[in-house]
Amino acid sequence: MSSHLKSNVIPPSRQREKPRAGMTWIGQSMKRVEDPRILVGKGGYVDDVVVPGMAHAAMVSSPHAHARIVSIDTSKAKNLPGVIGVYTGADLATVVDPCPSFASPPVTQHAMCMDKTRHVGEVVAAVVAEDRYIAEDAAALVEVEYEILTANVDIEASLEATGDAVLHPDDRESNRALDESFSFGSVEDDFAGADKVIKRRLRWNRSSAQAIETCGVVAEYDAFKGGYTIHANTNFYNFIPFVIGGSLRVSPGELRLIPVLTGGSFGSKVFIHKIIILTAGLARLSGVPVKYIEDRLEHFTNSDSHGSDRLYDCELAVMNDGTFKSMRFTVLDDYGAYLQFGVGTHGNAMAQVTGPYRIESFAMRVIAVLTNKCQQGPYRGFGSEVTNWVMERMADAAAEELDRDPVDLREQNMIQPDEFPYMITTGNIYDSGNFQEVLAQAKTLFDLEGWKRKAAAARADGRCVGVGVATCMERSVYGPTEWWFLNKKEEPGFTLTSTPEGISARFDPSGKLFVTLNSCMVGTSPETVVTQVLAERLTVAPEDIVFNYADSQTGFNGVGPQGSRFTAMVTGACVTASIRLEEKLKRFGAHMLQRRPEDVELRGGMVAVKDGLEDQAKSFAEIALMSSFFRLSFPDEEAFDSGLETTAVYDHPISAEPHPDREHLGIFYPIVGHICHITAVEVDPETGKVEILDYAAVHDNGTIVNPRTLGGQVWGGTANGIGTTLTEHFIYDEDGQFTNPNFAEFALPSAHEMPKNLKLGHVETPSPYTEYGIKGGGEGGRLGAPSALTTAIEDALREKGVKISALPVTPPVLRGLIRNADAAAAAAD
Amino acid sequence: MNTTAIELEVNGRKHSANVPPRKLLSDFIRQDLALPGTHVGCEHGVCGACTILMDGKAVRACLMFAVQADGASLTTVEGLSKAEELHPIQHAFWEEHGLQCGFCTPGMLAAAHELLSENTDPTDEEIREAISGNLCRCTGYEYIIDAIRTAAKKLRVTQASDASQNA
Amino acid sequence: MKPAPFDYHRPEDLQSALSLLGTHTDASIIAGGQSLVPMMNYRLAQPEHLIDINRLSELDYIREDGDQITIGALARHDAIHASELIAEHMPLISHAYEWIAHKAVRNRGTLCGNLCHADPASEMPAIIQVLEATLILARNGSSREVPAKEFFVGTYDTVCEEDEMLVELRIPKPTAGTGWGFEEVSMRKGDFAWAAVVCLLRVENGRLDDVRVAVSGAAEIALRLPDLEVALAGQAPSSDIFENAATKAVDALAPVGSATVSADYKRDLVRALLPRVLSAATARAS
Ligand SMILES: Cc1cc2nc3c(=O)[nH]c(=O)nc-3n(C[C@H](O)[C@H](O)[C@H](O)COP(=O)(O)OP(=O)(O)OC[C@H]3O[C@@H](n4cnc5c(N)ncnc54)[C@H](O)[C@@H]3O)c2cc1C
Ligand code: FES
Ligand code: FES
Repeated sequence: MSSHLKSNVIPPSRQREKPRAGMTWIGQSMKRVEDPRILVGKGGYVDDVVVPGMAHAAMVSSPHAHARIVSIDTSKAKNLPGVIGVYTGADLATVVDPCPSFASPPVTQHAMCMDKTRHVGEVVAAVVAEDRYIAEDAAALVEVEYEILTANVDIEASLEATGDAVLHPDDRESNRALDESFSFGSVEDDFAGADKVIKRRLRWNRSSAQAIETCGVVAEYDAFKGGYTIHANTNFYNFIPFVIGGSLRVSPGELRLIPVLTGGSFGSKVFIHKIIILTAGLARLSGVPVKYIEDRLEHFTNSDSHGSDRLYDCELAVMNDGTFKSMRFTVLDDYGAYLQFGVGTHGNAMAQVTGPYRIESFAMRVIAVLTNKCQQGPYRGFGSEVTNWVMERMADAAAEELDRDPVDLREQNMIQPDEFPYMITTGNIYDSGNFQEVLAQAKTLFDLEGWKRKAAAARADGRCVGVGVATCMERSVYGPTEWWFLNKKEEPGFTLTSTPEGISARFDPSGKLFVTLNSCMVGTSPETVVTQVLAERLTVAPEDIVFNYADSQTGFNGVGPQGSRFTAMVTGACVTASIRLEEKLKRFGAHMLQRRPEDVELRGGMVAVKDGLEDQAKSFAEIALMSSFFRLSFPDEEAFDSGLETTAVYDHPISAEPHPDREHLGIFYPIVGHICHITAVEVDPETGKVEILDYAAVHDNGTIVNPRTLGGQVWGGTANGIGTTLTEHFIYDEDGQFTNPNFAEFALPSAHEMPKNLKLGHVETPSPYTEYGIKGGGEGGRLGAPSALTTAIEDALREKGVKISALPVTPPVLRGLIRNADAAAAAAD
Repeated sequence: MNTTAIELEVNGRKHSANVPPRKLLSDFIRQDLALPGTHVGCEHGVCGACTILMDGKAVRACLMFAVQADGASLTTVEGLSKAEELHPIQHAFWEEHGLQCGFCTPGMLAAAHELLSENTDPTDEEIREAISGNLCRCTGYEYIIDAIRTAAKKLRVTQASDASQNA
Repeated sequence: MKPAPFDYHRPEDLQSALSLLGTHTDASIIAGGQSLVPMMNYRLAQPEHLIDINRLSELDYIREDGDQITIGALARHDAIHASELIAEHMPLISHAYEWIAHKAVRNRGTLCGNLCHADPASEMPAIIQVLEATLILARNGSSREVPAKEFFVGTYDTVCEEDEMLVELRIPKPTAGTGWGFEEVSMRKGDFAWAAVVCLLRVENGRLDDVRVAVSGAAEIALRLPDLEVALAGQAPSSDIFENAATKAVDALAPVGSATVSADYKRDLVRALLPRVLSAATARAS
C-alpha cells in the first residue's frame, strides 16, 4: 500500500447478520407490496394532493439566457379575473431568503430572479390564480423589459469571460467557480517511470433524468398553526426542512413536509428545494395554499437537475507489458448558472475513479465552470457514470496503443479476489468483489467468443458489426464527505455525517406489524425490502406487515433513496428493530409459556419453546394482545411495560475521515459492486443509426434481497445509459437558447430502442460490512451501458478508423464522424 | 367564463358537467371527476402517461378537450379493476414487476388493454409496437413486455374456460 | 402548459362546418387534434374559434371509387393503416404507417389533418405526391381540386385558405405491377422523419418506367425529384445507376438544417436512402 494511505485505517466490521444460504424471504422475487394501490391509480402523487382553498401557480420564465431585468409590469396580469396575486423576485424576497448552497463559498441563488436572469427558463415572476389556466393567461400578460447580456455557453470560453458576462460578480470574480488540484500517491514518479503515456480528450455532454413525473409542490402557510405544511415530491424529505428552514425563515420544526409517492427520480428529485421555497413563499404572500407543478418545459429548463457536462484531458501511464501505473486528468465541468452542491459529483467519482484496476496513483484538477444554463443536479451515477466511461475509454485506448486485446488487458490489471478489502489510491475502499467471476459469467452468458467471430465475419462482408465489453464499478451506500472534501481545504463547509436511516415498528394488539418509514417511495421498493428483511428476521408473515410513511415532523432520521444506499441502510435499521422486538417478544412470550426467554425462539410467527411441541408456542398476535392490553398479567417490572414497539436507526456501517491535507479522502463509498456489460451492435455507416444486436449484463451487488426488483433497476439503468449514449443531448445554441426542451426532440428511448434479447446474470459476493452482505444496486445500468456501447460502436467502425471521444453519439453525430473518417481516408489515398 | 354542458360515461358511471371548452380532458378527469389515476407527464402528446380508453380505443387525454368527450364512454385506470380484484393485466404487471414508480403505468395499461382486446396472442414485437408511444423512464420496458405477454396468456386461459363453460 | 381560451363549435354536418368557417375569422378546424392541441398547449396556436369536425361522420370513409380510392377528412390514421382496400392498392401507405407516430396518436389523428398541418418532417405529404393524389378543398358554396404537388407551400403552410376545408383526398390506384419503396430515418421509430424517401415505379421490358420519387424532411416542404425521375426513366435498373442518380439528386438539394440535425446530415440521409428505395421498388415491381 502506498504510504499516503497509511493514516486511512479501515474500521472493524459491525455486521450482525451474516449472509447465509437458504433464507426464506431474502433472495426471493416477492411481488412488490407497493404495487396494488399504484396499479389501480391510487398511488398518491403530488399532483393528486388537493387542499381546501388551494390556488395554482404559473411562472413567467426568462426567454433569455443572460439578461438584466430592467422592469416588470404586472398590472395587466393582476387585473385579470381569477388572479389572486402576481409576484416578482423582490416580492418573494420579503418572505424568503436565498436558496441553500453547499458550495464553499456559496454561489447566491434566489428561487425567483432578482436583478438578473442567468438562464432560459429561470423564473422572473409568478402568478397565483384560481386555476392553472387563468394563471397561465395572467403570466402571458406580465410585461418584462430586459437588457440582454452576453450569454456564456461554451465551457472553455466561459472561463475567459469578463465584465458583464461574469455570472455572479458578487460571489466570484470570474466564471471559474472552483479550481482545485488533488494528487494521491506518487503520480509524478509513476508517470516518469512509465513506458508510455496514453492521452485522450473526452467529452461527456449534458442530458438529464427527465422522470415522467415532473417536480411539484403544494404549500400552505399559517402563522398561527405552526408555519408551513408542504407536500412535495422530493426524495429527501426528512432532511430538506433543515436545509431550507433558513431560506423560509422558520425553524425546521415549523415546516411539516409530507411525503408523496414520487413518479421517478433517478436523483433528479433529491434537490428540489428551489421550487419548494418558491411555492412556499407564494403561499405565504398570497395567503392561500398554492399548488405548483412544473410543466415539462419548466422541468427541462428550470428544475436544477441537469446531468454532468464535462471535458476531460486524461492521461494514463502504462508499461509495455500492459500494466496500468497511474492516471491523471484535468476536468472542466459546466455546472450551469449555479453551484448548489459544489463539486460533489466529482467527489463521488473519487470513490471508484480507477475502476476495477490496480492503479497506484492518481491526480486531478477539477475546474467548475459557470455558464448560462440551468444548473446541474444529481442524475443516476452522480458523476461516477462519467468517470466509469473515462476509465473504460482509457483502457480501450491503452489496448489500441499497446496492440492488446481490450478484455485481456482489463483482466491483467484487475484487482484479484484475495485483495479485498482493497483500498484505492484516493482512500476509498472496495469492500469485496470477484471481478474475474463477473467477467467470466458475462462472457459465457453473452457468448463473447461466438460474437467476436460473428462480428469479424460480418465486417469481412462489409457490414459494421462490433462488440464492446465494459467492466465497471458500482459504488453504493454513500457517506456524504463527497460533498465537501474537494472544497477548499481551509473552508470545507461540512463535517462527516453518518447518513442515518431509521424505521419504527410496532406490533398492534391484533398482531399486525406496523412499520413507519422515514424515506419515500420513488419507484424503488422500500416497503418490499423492509417486508422481506423483517419477515426473514422475525418470521412474521409478509401480509401481516403494514406500512406508513412519516412526515418530517413525526419522523426522524431518514436520508432516503439516493446514492444506492437505501436497501442496505434500511436493512440495517430493520435488523436493529428486529433484535429489539425479538427480545420483547421472547420476554412476553416466555412469560406466557412459563419458560425463560433463553428457552424460546421465534418460529413461523410464534414464540415457541426450543425443540418444543406445537402447543408450546404463542403466536405474535396472542403476545401482542396480552402485552398491549393486559399489563397486569405480567411482572411488575419496567421490562414488561405495555406495548411491543421500537424505533431503530442505522448509521453508516463504515466510514473514515478524509486526510486534513487531502492526501487521501478517507473511506466514503465503501460498499462497492461490480458490473460487466457486453453488447454487440451494428452501425449503418450511411445513416449513423446504431442497432443493438445483443446485450448482457452481469452485476455483483452482494447478497440480493429481491432478484426481480434488482433486475428492474439494472434494465432501467441500462435504458438510461442507452439514452445517454445514443439519443439524449441537451442542445443550447450560441445565444444560450435551449433548442430541444421537449419529449419530441429530447429522445428518451422507447420500447423500440431497447435491445430485444437482454440477458441478465448475477454474482453474489457479500459485503463484509452491511447486514446480510447487501450492496446497493440502483445505478448500475447507467454506470456500465455507455462504456460498453461506445466500445462496441468503435469496434464496429474499426475498419473506418472512427474514434469516439464524446457522448452522445446520436445518428447525426456518428454519421459526421464517419463522414470525416471517410474523407480522411480518401485524402490519404 | 363560458362553459359547455357535456354528458359522458366514465368507468361505467354517467357524468354530466359544465366545462370551459379549453379544459383538457386529462385535467377534467383528474380534477373534475377526481380520478387521479390518469397521469400527466408532458402535455404535448409524447409520453403517453395520460393515455385512456375512449370507446375501447387508446387516446391521449392531454390532446383532447373535455368537450370533445361529450357522449363518449371512457375507461381510466380506475375502471379496469373490478370491486376488489385487479384486472388480469394489472395482475400481470404486479407479478412481472412491470412497474417501478408507476407513473407511466396507467397509460401502459390502457395501451396493453387495447392491444389485447384486438390481438389475444401478440408477438413481442407487436407488444413493443403497442407500447412504443408510452415512455417509461424506470423499467427499460423489459418487464413491461413480460407482463403483457403474461397478461395475454391469462386472458386466453380465462376466455378458454369461459368458452368451455358456455359450451 | 394550458391552452388559451377559445369559442368551441361542433357542427353536425359538413354544410354547417363550412358556414362556420366562412363566418368566423381566426378559426381553426380541429380534426384529430394530434398536432393542433400540442401547439395550443404550448400557446403557439391560439385560435379564437375552434371548429370541431369530429361529428361529421359523413367524412369518415375510405372508399373505392372506380380507379381511385377516396379518403374523407375524418378517416383516422389507424383506419387507413388497417384498411384492406389500402393494403391491396397502396401498400406503400400501409407500410409507411408503421413509421408514423404510435397507436394512440393514430387512433385520433386523421390523414387530412396531417396533410393540412404540413409538417416538413411528415411522411404522408411525400407519399401523396408520388401517388399523385388530388385534394378536394371546400368552402361555403364552392369547392376546388388541388393536385398534391401544388398543395404544400411552406413549413406548416398549404394552399388551403382560412375559410376552406380539406374534405377529401382522391388517390388514383397505381397500375398493377407498380413497385414501391419507403425508407425513413428518425431518432426513434414513430418520430417525425429526419428524412423519408418514397418511390413508385414500374419495370417494363427490363426498363424503368413512370418513376416517381419524393422526399420528406429535406426541405421546407416534401418534394418530388423530377430530374431524378426523368434521368431514371427508360434505364435498366442497376445499383450503379441508382447510386449515380442519388448522387446527382442530392447535389441539387438544399436541405434546411437545425440545431440537432445539420443540412449535411440530411443530405447524407437522402443520398443513402434513395438507392435503397429504388432497389426495393424495383424488386417489388413485376
Ligand atoms: C407523439 C406524436 C408522434 C407523431 N409522429 C408523427 C410522425 O411520425 N409522422 C407524422 O406525419 N405525424 C406524426 N404526428 C402527427 C400526427 O400525424 C397528427 O395526427 C397529424 O399531424 C394531424 O392530424 P390531426 O387529424 O390530428 O389534425 P389536427 O391536429 O386536428 O389539425 C392539424 C392542423 O390541420 C388543420 N386541419 C385539420 N383538419 C383539417 C381539414 N380537414 N381541413 C383543413 N384544415 C384542417 C387544423 O386546423 C390544424 O391546423 C405525431 C403526433 C404525435 C402526438
Ligand atoms: S401527458 Fe399526454 S402524452 Fe404526455
Ligand atoms: S414505472 Fe416509472 S415511468 Fe414507468
